[in-house]
Amino acid sequence: MKRREFSKLLALLACPWPAGALAQAGDADWSTQFAQALEEFPWLAAWGNIDRDRYASDAAVSGRWPEELRGTLYRTGPAGHEVFGYRNHHWFDGDGMMHAYRIGGGGVRHEARLVETAKLKAERAAGRALYPGLAAAPPGAAGLTGPDDLNLANTSVLHHHGRLLALWEAGSPYEIDPDDLSTVGPYSFAEPGGGLSMRGVPFSAHPRVDADGSVWNFGYASAAGLLVFWHIGADGSLRNAGRVAVDPMTMPHDFVVTERHLVLLLPPFHYRPQANATGFLNMHQWRPEDPCRVLVVDKNDLSSHFFLELPAQWVFHFGNAWEDSAGVIRFDAARAPDPSIMTETFTEIMRGNPDYGRAARHHAYRLDTRARTISEEAMLEPEIFTEFPSIDPRVSCRQYRKLVFLSQNESSPAEHGTLNEVNLFDIESGRRDWFRYPDTQIPEEHLYVPRPGSEPESEGWILGSVFDWRQGKQVLNLFDAERVADGPVAAAELPYAIPLGLHGKFVRG
Amino acid sequence: MKTNRLISACLLAAALGIYTRAAADTLTIVIEDIRDASGAVQVQVLAGQAQFEGGGAVAQFLEQAVEGTLTITAEDLPPGEYAIRIMHDVNGNDELDANFVGMPTEPYAFSNNARGMFGPATWEDARFVLEGEVTQVISLVH
Repeated sequence: MKRREFSKLLALLACPWPAGALAQAGDADWSTQFAQALEEFPWLAAWGNIDRDRYASDAAVSGRWPEELRGTLYRTGPAGHEVFGYRNHHWFDGDGMMHAYRIGGGGVRHEARLVETAKLKAERAAGRALYPGLAAAPPGAAGLTGPDDLNLANTSVLHHHGRLLALWEAGSPYEIDPDDLSTVGPYSFAEPGGGLSMRGVPFSAHPRVDADGSVWNFGYASAAGLLVFWHIGADGSLRNAGRVAVDPMTMPHDFVVTERHLVLLLPPFHYRPQANATGFLNMHQWRPEDPCRVLVVDKNDLSSHFFLELPAQWVFHFGNAWEDSAGVIRFDAARAPDPSIMTETFTEIMRGNPDYGRAARHHAYRLDTRARTISEEAMLEPEIFTEFPSIDPRVSCRQYRKLVFLSQNESSPAEHGTLNEVNLFDIESGRRDWFRYPDTQIPEEHLYVPRPGSEPESEGWILGSVFDWRQGKQVLNLFDAERVADGPVAAAELPYAIPLGLHGKFVRG
Repeated sequence: MKTNRLISACLLAAALGIYTRAAADTLTIVIEDIRDASGAVQVQVLAGQAQFEGGGAVAQFLEQAVEGTLTITAEDLPPGEYAIRIMHDVNGNDELDANFVGMPTEPYAFSNNARGMFGPATWEDARFVLEGEVTQVISLVH
């Protein structure tokens, strides 16, 4: 690129991350509002704040922790919700905290540590909140040089080729020392052929591990109008990268991978840049009259793609996908009618206003890559809301029949009003085996952990934590995946509670 | 302190016809946080919003990079509103290198140390008035 193109290039500088109705910074004291609401709704503590940078404790275990279950559950999530007295205006704006639940020998030890992102370090050096978030900016917010200025490393975890990465949505992965959870720094994958730099290129929070051990991911660069695709070999090196121009850009959070294709849903939440925006969400506009575009990319030629259309919808998370020999793809997703849970609920909850948006119901999709058609249908009864789908990792990107997810039955909501059930759902038989947590506990993501040596989707456990707001404790629970309704077979109770996190990975060993 | 290759500043300004008096003012540009002595530092002085957004420069400097700080003086500029754009071509390939999505991977900066919020720095962020002697101290963005 020549010097004369300098200004054009700089025009591409922008921050694809994260707002609805925009709360101007400095408006009413959200900390005070939240504290007042907490008296009325004590379960709001799940969106409270941390009181230290590091946590560590042996857990009080009960039940039977199986001898053959050895490894570490790494989880991350927004935890630092107040910066020098400034309370964030969105759940997803919290500084990330990495957790390790180390399981083995009948015991469980928990450690957690704030990720020392560039943002955290800059704000601590300045002694105040500096950066805008999804829904608002603090008073006197600093300008930005790129998405990584806002990187919170607070969304998900990838453990690949021995490297532990804390993932955010729109920036670099953060490398974390798996032993002491200290922050190594932003991680950049090697240069691909062609010599283009991948430094600072967005790497989203939901990479998918393929059957050959390689990893696929995407990233969105809003100002550039580009979706980026990553393919990282089992050896940790960058195998390939591709770009697809998308106009208008949107905010895809997750995607699926099949034997031959990558599939993204692009909800009509259109990126509309504004010079004076103080939060990233309010640079988007929900257009329910527009379709949800479906982007299908050829794994073997990342420049080869086509678009299909679905009715407007919002999807955070997919379970899995597979493709048959006739080119028909099947996948599932927690499908909401609009993004109000992100644009409204997760903002309002931060000032203690539990006003739940329109929740997601689980849908099954059928995409015919040859006929170029797509259809969807509800997977469960209409009163069941779902989120946090996960699978047996051994069937990732391949044919599958079992899904783990959290749910809420609209007809019998919990006192806290959010998800309160853990499920194992058999797609083929339609059988849903589920357990309802007491109202004093709010579950976090639950994962399927295979029993070593067993056949895929045959034997395993479901592992997940809950935020017990009455006791002020986190509890890690283990279920027999084949007998979920029986309740946890083992539990590990921590002497503290850390605000609700998002996603994790179980790493054997 | 160096004064270098001020390119036809007065001529260009006159051609633009936007200045009301011809007094000669001095702009001192102090570029800080140069982390590498390799390559060249390019400085563009932009007269008005039109140049900032449209291209061209009233003055342009090309300096061998030094580690630390570099000071450049632009003399004989007519008073008016300006902005400054700086890039450090570290590898000397005569390009501002960019990553896979077009974001610069070599250092750059704007006057007023302007940064965008969720987009590039704007003319409003970067503009300043030159009258008499003005110094802009600008740190490179890495």
